[in-house]
Amino acid sequence: MYILGMLVAPPLLALLLAAQASPPSSSPNQAFEQVARQADAARAADRLNEAEALYAKGVRLDPAWSEGWWSLGSLLYDQDRFAEAQDAFKRFVATTPSPGPGYAFLALCEFETRDFEGSLKHFQAWAKVGSPGNDALLDVAGYHWALLMTRKAEFEQALYLLAAKAKKLGDTPALTEAMGLASLRMANLPEDYPPQKREAVWLAGKAALYCARQDYPRSDMYAQRLATRYGGEANVHYLLGTLLGFQRRFPEAAEEYKKELQVSPENTAATVELALAQLENSKPEEALPLAERAVGREPKNARAHLAYGKALLATERVSEAAHELELSKELAPDSPAVRSVLANAYLRLGRVKEAKRESQAFLVLTRKEEVLAPTAKKLSSTGKLEPKQ
Amino acid sequence: MTRSPLHGVVICLAVLSLGIGAMLLPANAGQSRASAGQEKPQSFEQLSRAAELARNQNHDDEAIGLYAQALKLRPEWLEGLWYQGTLLYQKENFGQAREVLRRFVALDPQASPGWVVLGMSEFQTREYSRSLDHLQRALSIGLGDRNDLARSAQYFEAVILTRFERYDDSMTVLGSLHRSGENPDLLIEPIGLAALRMPLLPSEIPADRRELVRMAGQGSLTIESEHPDETEKVFSEIVARYPDEPGAHFLYGVFLMDVRPEEGIRQMKRELEISPFHVGARLRIAEEYIKESKFEDALQLSEEAIKLEPNSAQAHMVLGETLMGKGDATRGITELEMARKQSPDSLRTHWDLLQAYSSAGRKEDAKREKEEIEKLNRPESPKEP
Repeated sequence: MYILGMLVAPPLLALLLAAQASPPSSSPNQAFEQVARQADAARAADRLNEAEALYAKGVRLDPAWSEGWWSLGSLLYDQDRFAEAQDAFKRFVATTPSPGPGYAFLALCEFETRDFEGSLKHFQAWAKVGSPGNDALLDVAGYHWALLMTRKAEFEQALYLLAAKAKKLGDTPALTEAMGLASLRMANLPEDYPPQKREAVWLAGKAALYCARQDYPRSDMYAQRLATRYGGEANVHYLLGTLLGFQRRFPEAAEEYKKELQVSPENTAATVELALAQLENSKPEEALPLAERAVGREPKNARAHLAYGKALLATERVSEAAHELELSKELAPDSPAVRSVLANAYLRLGRVKEAKRESQAFLVLTRKEEVLAPTAKKLSSTGKLEPKQ
Repeated sequence: MTRSPLHGVVICLAVLSLGIGAMLLPANAGQSRASAGQEKPQSFEQLSRAAELARNQNHDDEAIGLYAQALKLRPEWLEGLWYQGTLLYQKENFGQAREVLRRFVALDPQASPGWVVLGMSEFQTREYSRSLDHLQRALSIGLGDRNDLARSAQYFEAVILTRFERYDDSMTVLGSLHRSGENPDLLIEPIGLAALRMPLLPSEIPADRRELVRMAGQGSLTIESEHPDETEKVFSEIVARYPDEPGAHFLYGVFLMDVRPEEGIRQMKRELEISPFHVGARLRIAEEYIKESKFEDALQLSEEAIKLEPNSAQAHMVLGETLMGKGDATRGITELEMARKQSPDSLRTHWDLLQAYSSAGRKEDAKREKEEIEKLNRPESPKEP
């Protein structure tokens, strides 16, 4: 049994095969028809090696036989033969008008063969058509997508996906490790980070996982252990601040961000979050220079502009605030957070029409975020992301 | 790529190659060496003979290339896949070894040595879930008299189980390895990690914790040596040197429970101050309370344990035992049945159920449990964690 065997999820293929509408064969060739029938019969009788050979023969006879590519891909995938499965799924996607879950399987194969760009592209294609597939596929695909995001240093998005899984599935070694990497802002995959970081990743993962499950006492215990053991390392206090922020313990969060900045003075993310925490603590005068510094350091950081805009707004520099918030909106047009603040700024400037427009955008984007949060809302406890025993 | 600390120690691929080689080699294999000529081989027969010759002469790179060529002509050639896979493994080309061995086991799913080397390759590429799955598959098929290979599989199984926080399962496997005569030096760190409940591989132990882990491992290894003084000396030294270390008091407490339960309970309570969510510590205290007929105290602790880990078979078992002790047979049996569902191979749960069904007058159910116990007591049966 895979504990995270999630990585594979073979049995779901059989289910998907049944669910997948089989496109009619396009070959009139009698030999082909016979091979196709034999292949299906062999698969149904669980003679998988024979079925594989027959499907391979079938697609050689008729390269447009998408059902054959699908079946061949799924048989190879079930055997962890990802490079070969990838080729088959590629052909399936190319030969069928609606590849549906085929995109996700192609993406999973590409992940395994370390074609990460291709994997990301096909996960996106899959999401674009509504993330079709059963719960097991949603679990496996969502998890791998999150890993890719972590690898690309898109830590917040990764954690967003993983947190949804943690809520559903509980404490699993795989989720813990994935959340640990994203929480410590390590742009690595579970199989390629330095072994000496393992304990820190595990502790960070536990802290993040239990925070996502709103089990704050347990989250705090792991966070405390992390700080005791690894408090001098980058991003540890940043994580502690984030966890406290989730609990709306902003004064303590601010202290953690300050500690992070002692460890890593150039940590822009910590600077931004400290500014935002100080705004929550009603200390806009402390937030303002921090946010300004963050924007100066990273002019293309949407969240830094958001923090600066909020700080300006809180210090009554409303026009400047609107400008900063517009920059933030430009950099992150799909983020609902900035829209509500911008609406507030416009309102205070008497620009009622624009305020209304931003308020509406806020509502639309919030709904869209719920729908699009790729697979996060749909993740279920089935499949192979099993809780540890 | 991380190398196992056991690389080249436990993995006796030479032996293993001979083992399966004998199984797979065709009857006319002996002729091939003599007939391999100097000309560039072209046919499958020529290539396979040349590959074998190169392998026998320890020209591994050449052999790997020749096997690859032969396999292009005959992709389902089992012997070629096996030798290519094991040679790649020996050359530490674990990713490629894994690919070749996946094809090998797909063609011959009952070839347990194939699953072992595949699992060990996946261990090296840090695909731990797959590795565990494949090692356990090999062990469940059985490895016959290939004891070295079985021990390698068990070693890797155990260290992965620890990394997956399945410490008790890991300890069961490590205990079995120890009893089977495995070199204790190889087991010290894995046992220390499992005993301290640290989800790390030996290669992942931070430098400043290695001493602690080794002490825990050494202490645990002495438990079965019938020198309790030695064991206690090590464990008491651990708690003296690492008084705030999670897991240290639990480890000492487990030992004390058998010799001085009162002190054992004190250590467990100290562990709970350091690790307030520690399920094992709760259950150990609850077990002691059951022995002392303090059922209300046991009840509170076992219910807390279930709240913390709803899927813990052991927690359901201890709660079931508590309820039976209290005279609540209906709830007690329900909990024990849940424990059985979570862990069907637990002898203790079956014993509990046998007694519970018998006292409830459920003769048929009791009979079934008795049969189950007999089945589990057979030598080939899986042993309880």
